[in-house]
Amino acid sequence: MSFLPAFSSLTRAHVLMFLRSRAALVWTLAFPQFFLFMFEFAFSGGTPRGATYLMPGLFTITLISGSFFGVALRMVTERETGVLRRHRVTPVPAVAVILSHGATALVVLACSVTLQAVVARLVFRIGVAGSATTLVIVLLLGGLALVPIGMIAGSIARDTRAAPAITNFLFFPMMFLSGAAIPFPFLPAWMQRLARLVPTTYLVESLQGVMVRGQGLGRLRGPLLVLALMAAIGIGLNGLLFRWESTEPVRRGRVTLALSALLLVCWGAYFLAPPLEMSQRPFP
Amino acid sequence: MTIRIDGLEKRYGSVVALRGIDLEIPGGGIVGLLGPNGAGKTTLVEIMEGLREPTRGSVSVLGLDPTTQARRLKERIGVQLQSTSIPLDLTPAEVLGLYASFYPRSRPIDEGLEQVGLEAKRKALVRNLSGGQRQRLALGMALIHEPELLILDEPTTGLDPVARRGIHEVIRQYRASGHSVILTTHYIEEAELLCDRVIVIRAGEVVADGTPFQLIAKAEGVSTLWIAFSGPFDPAPLVKAGATPHGVEGNHHRFVTRDPAAAVVALGDILRGQEVSLVDLRMKRPTLEDVYLELVGGDADGEPGEEE
Repeated sequence: MSFLPAFSSLTRAHVLMFLRSRAALVWTLAFPQFFLFMFEFAFSGGTPRGATYLMPGLFTITLISGSFFGVALRMVTERETGVLRRHRVTPVPAVAVILSHGATALVVLACSVTLQAVVARLVFRIGVAGSATTLVIVLLLGGLALVPIGMIAGSIARDTRAAPAITNFLFFPMMFLSGAAIPFPFLPAWMQRLARLVPTTYLVESLQGVMVRGQGLGRLRGPLLVLALMAAIGIGLNGLLFRWESTEPVRRGRVTLALSALLLVCWGAYFLAPPLEMSQRPFP
Repeated sequence: MTIRIDGLEKRYGSVVALRGIDLEIPGGGIVGLLGPNGAGKTTLVEIMEGLREPTRGSVSVLGLDPTTQARRLKERIGVQLQSTSIPLDLTPAEVLGLYASFYPRSRPIDEGLEQVGLEAKRKALVRNLSGGQRQRLALGMALIHEPELLILDEPTTGLDPVARRGIHEVIRQYRASGHSVILTTHYIEEAELLCDRVIVIRAGEVVADGTPFQLIAKAEGVSTLWIAFSGPFDPAPLVKAGATPHGVEGNHHRFVTRDPAAAVVALGDILRGQEVSLVDLRMKRPTLEDVYLELVGGDADGEPGEEE
């Protein structure tokens, strides 16, 4: 089939368009640095240990914003301007178009996370207690779990105005409940319980595991399994919800199915995931 | 047979866009679908492209069913949609490369650019191209995989005459290689200049079908004659031949007739029998435009029959 050449040239085209859209580029790369400096100056206490402790939350914020905002808007714009409609009269498979959007988002994420990590290393002397390979795997799983959610928003949003509304609605609980913005031990008990429903909680937990507590993949299999399940279900749901044209109706049955599947994973994690180690205060 | 359509109907809810279309289009040549806005032209070509499903009837394009054999059909047809939608932040070379990657076989990008005369613009961003250049690029996108059939929906709408001629040139070259083109237009001159066969559609029905010449010949349009003589003359022979006097413009006497051949014979009688000589003779036959207006009548401003 013509999947591979179409997938790679679509991804290349999307990345090129992203690089040429100066506003998107600057925003995507500068936003994580802004958060980095704000948080590190305010809360790190000036020590590399304190700086490192904040990094799981900062990486998570970078991953959420990078997964939600860019890709959803790109998908809606392509659909609204009729670019997807033009693709549709060629033999290009839908799966190549869908996966190329996901791949583009991962490339963009990789750039902004890497830049943030390098700046954090050089300016705030952060270190990683565990292995760097584990850290990369955790970050990648985080991206794979979150990008499909942004893409689902892109598929169900009616137009370019609706897309940011949906992603903002998801962004704030994912940022505040997960302990990404406010360190988890400082959240009240009821919020800590609620946090077990939010997928990013497991990302912060895994990142702290490898960066602060020096844990390996084996110790982190619980939260990582949640992220992997989210990724698998999210990618599958994109196949169900993708729309070539804005005149195609959003299939309510499928949206319900998608939301129930995601909620099911969250509920499963709520009851089955082991206690969150990040709820312990790091510096007693 | 490139296209065979039997009893095609398309409804959008209670609105009927196409009511019983039967068409046979053999291979080769340029076929124009002419009709006012909302006549159903776009619906018809989008059904051929597999973008819309017929409500009733059967459609076969290159021997394939656009609904059930869409993938195989899409490999063999080249399509330009009504509103050009090309990613703005890519260059023409990148756009053609992207679309080439969608097909099992395609021609080299440089050839594709040359075919539509965009070699000089290969590194410019699409957002900086003129309307005519974008439209040529859209044509290049439709041609990059050397399709057997080209379906163009209003390829020249909104372009100036020079840009329009550029598009016509590309389409003629493509036809010269023995392939078929179907295009919709609401420019009558375009249909007359470019098309080997014109199908006029009105309110979802075919109301005329033939070469531009055949359509004009079949029409009941009137011809106008302007005749200037030296000295006074008696128009009786002309009137007897069916021509009606229609006043004087300067030195020219104007007559209208449905039988211009008889009027010319009567003119010969006048010159032989009366003491006058002919100074000037002009004749205007009905044009395709007259025929078209006669066919679509008051519908020329469109009627609701199509989505969008």
